[in-house]
Amino acid sequence: MPEIEGSPGSSMHGVTGRESVMAFSVASPMVHTDRTAKFDLPVDSEHKATVFKLFSFANPHMRTFHLSWISFFTTFVSTFAAAPLVPIIRDNLDLTKADIGNAGVASVSGSIFSRLVMGAVCDLLGPRYGCAFLIMLSAPTVFCMSFVSDASGYIAVRFMIGFSLATFVSCQYWMSTMFNSKIIGVVNGTAAGWGNMGGGATQLLMPVLFEIIKKAGATPFTAWRIAFFIPGWLHVIMGILVLTLGQDLPDGNLGALQKKGDIAKDKFGKVLWYAVTNYRTWIFVLLYGYSMGVELTIDNVIAEYFYDRFDLKLHLAGIIAACFGMANLLARPFGGFTSDYMAKRFGMRGRLWNLWLLQTAGGVFCVCLGLVNSLTLAITFMMLFSIGAQAACGATFGVIPFISRRSLGIISGMTGAGGNFGSGLTQLIFFANASFSTEKGLTYMGLMIICATLPVSLVHFPQWGSMFLPPSKDIVKGSEENYYVSEWTEDEKQKGMHEASLKFAENSRSERGGKVASAPTPPGNTPNHV
Amino acid sequence: MKIPAGFLVVCLMFSCFVATSYGVLFSSLKDTLIVTATHTQDQVLKAGEEQITVTWRFNQTYPAGTDSAYKTVKVKLCYAPISQKDRKWRKTVDLLKKDKTCPHKIVARPYTASNNSFTWTIERDIPSAVYFVRAFALNAQEEQVAYGQTTDAHKSSNLFTVQAITGRHVGLDVASICFSAFSVVSLAGFFYMEKRKGKVAQQK
Repeated sequence: MPEIEGSPGSSMHGVTGRESVMAFSVASPMVHTDRTAKFDLPVDSEHKATVFKLFSFANPHMRTFHLSWISFFTTFVSTFAAAPLVPIIRDNLDLTKADIGNAGVASVSGSIFSRLVMGAVCDLLGPRYGCAFLIMLSAPTVFCMSFVSDASGYIAVRFMIGFSLATFVSCQYWMSTMFNSKIIGVVNGTAAGWGNMGGGATQLLMPVLFEIIKKAGATPFTAWRIAFFIPGWLHVIMGILVLTLGQDLPDGNLGALQKKGDIAKDKFGKVLWYAVTNYRTWIFVLLYGYSMGVELTIDNVIAEYFYDRFDLKLHLAGIIAACFGMANLLARPFGGFTSDYMAKRFGMRGRLWNLWLLQTAGGVFCVCLGLVNSLTLAITFMMLFSIGAQAACGATFGVIPFISRRSLGIISGMTGAGGNFGSGLTQLIFFANASFSTEKGLTYMGLMIICATLPVSLVHFPQWGSMFLPPSKDIVKGSEENYYVSEWTEDEKQKGMHEASLKFAENSRSERGGKVASAPTPPGNTPNHV
Repeated sequence: MKIPAGFLVVCLMFSCFVATSYGVLFSSLKDTLIVTATHTQDQVLKAGEEQITVTWRFNQTYPAGTDSAYKTVKVKLCYAPISQKDRKWRKTVDLLKKDKTCPHKIVARPYTASNNSFTWTIERDIPSAVYFVRAFALNAQEEQVAYGQTTDAHKSSNLFTVQAITGRHVGLDVASICFSAFSVVSLAGFFYMEKRKGKVAQQK
């Protein structure tokens, strides 16, 4: 019987080998299964699925999952499609190292803004149209590569294609309308990890397409432009599939269901305030910039690195580069799994140590990657680095759901944007400069990762402690209720708006680790069962 | 058990480092070939269309028998320093195995002391850059033993420019516009149709 220890939003539940591997289910009695609803999967009262059946395409839940992650995957493919072809493109467009670096920065910068806007778009039009609009309106930007004739055109087009990475938001938003919050962690983690794989798949796909088109008779400087049509078509195809096969909510599309207004909507200003004034948010924005951020950076530079440093053929460099991104299939979920595993024994302190260890290990291996001269060692260190960085991404989202209950959406969004910002920054500092080589850039980036990961030791939860400090011994300050309910004013508490936070607080007691004895209910808080 | 494993790793890394520094150095080669080409100083040649004729012969001022080891000649198109600036992938390195100055092959011929010439149409995958021509003489083991080039030792005189093809095609541009239009129009179409369906359903 799968035991979910009541930690909503945790990355990887149920994967211990003792439970049925593919069906992540919610066993908690608090989630009432709606048995009157006719869906392929068991659902709760909102008709959100409570079980995650990975290899099913049943409408609407699992179909949505697959449409969603594949759309996200497609945008990763097109955003990083230029990277493995840079050795050809740089000759065609007469690019300098600075041009290539700036294009890389541009490719990840656009989505910092588009991701922030996408949340609002999903609220207005629904995630189905949000996703379809973005993916179909960015298809022309991908096709635009055929017009590019100089560095500025190249940078501009990569910037515009990069906007499409906001499908991350529509993907996660759509998942949260379809899946119960108790399994949303593993669902979103899997969708995000598999979407990120697109950055790896493209390193394999584009050189192969290029070779095929060249064999068919095109010259190299034309062949790469033709190759870009394939990601463009993928955008259009996925857009059409999302529009025809997808639906916003389990019961139908947004327009029809917008009449239901019983869920009181929270004020955006308040939610933003509690996100921005929580110092932990900013530490995680920084941290994610050095796990996800460096992953995106490597997606942009690694194929060219192997091509130049080790004199490999284009498609071979692409295969090696692909291995980096494809490791996401298992590495990101692995990070979430180790986070949950450490939490079982050591609680939140275990999660924080786990995150620090994984991300620092990634940094160390990145340093090594830049130092070695042999191909075998370079590949080995690259893979170890990929596991460290990607697992750190998964581990990050093992902690984020606990930073705030009220502002979880915005914090997740800000963290995601932080990832892109970190990527733009590292590319600008280390890889757009002609004054030091790519291998030096990798080593320095590794050192920066190690330094930027140190602030995780500053993340302190009064109720659970931090890496070096134990939890507060004060009965009120050291309670989960106090932490989560402090996000609501007295006025809001009178209206009962904090009820969900109270429930969450009780469920999060497992983050104390070890034997979770029933903690005394702090005085002054309304117990749940009343 | 720990010490041998660590030692092995160090040995492995050391051997990798050592392996890379073995090979022929450019500075060890003698400039015994005289290479000339038909371009004029700073001429601009179009890739895929224009031609250049390269001639090479042994410099008779060197003692006879210097060229006894020469078996083949490889003539290459090389980047001038200005085209290597800010482009580390075209870097000049003394170790010829790692040198990226001359990536484009013009022709390879068996060695004869004189009467060598070759007319080459500049290929369509040659990028826009400033170039000179260099010929390497190789021995039976395919190692470089001598060279000659159309420019001076500082690679500053008698250079020429190649103007590459753009790689763009009208057909490609048209296809690009068509598919983009299809994407936008079909999205708008879907949106409009669903709005209309919604209105009709509401009216009912």
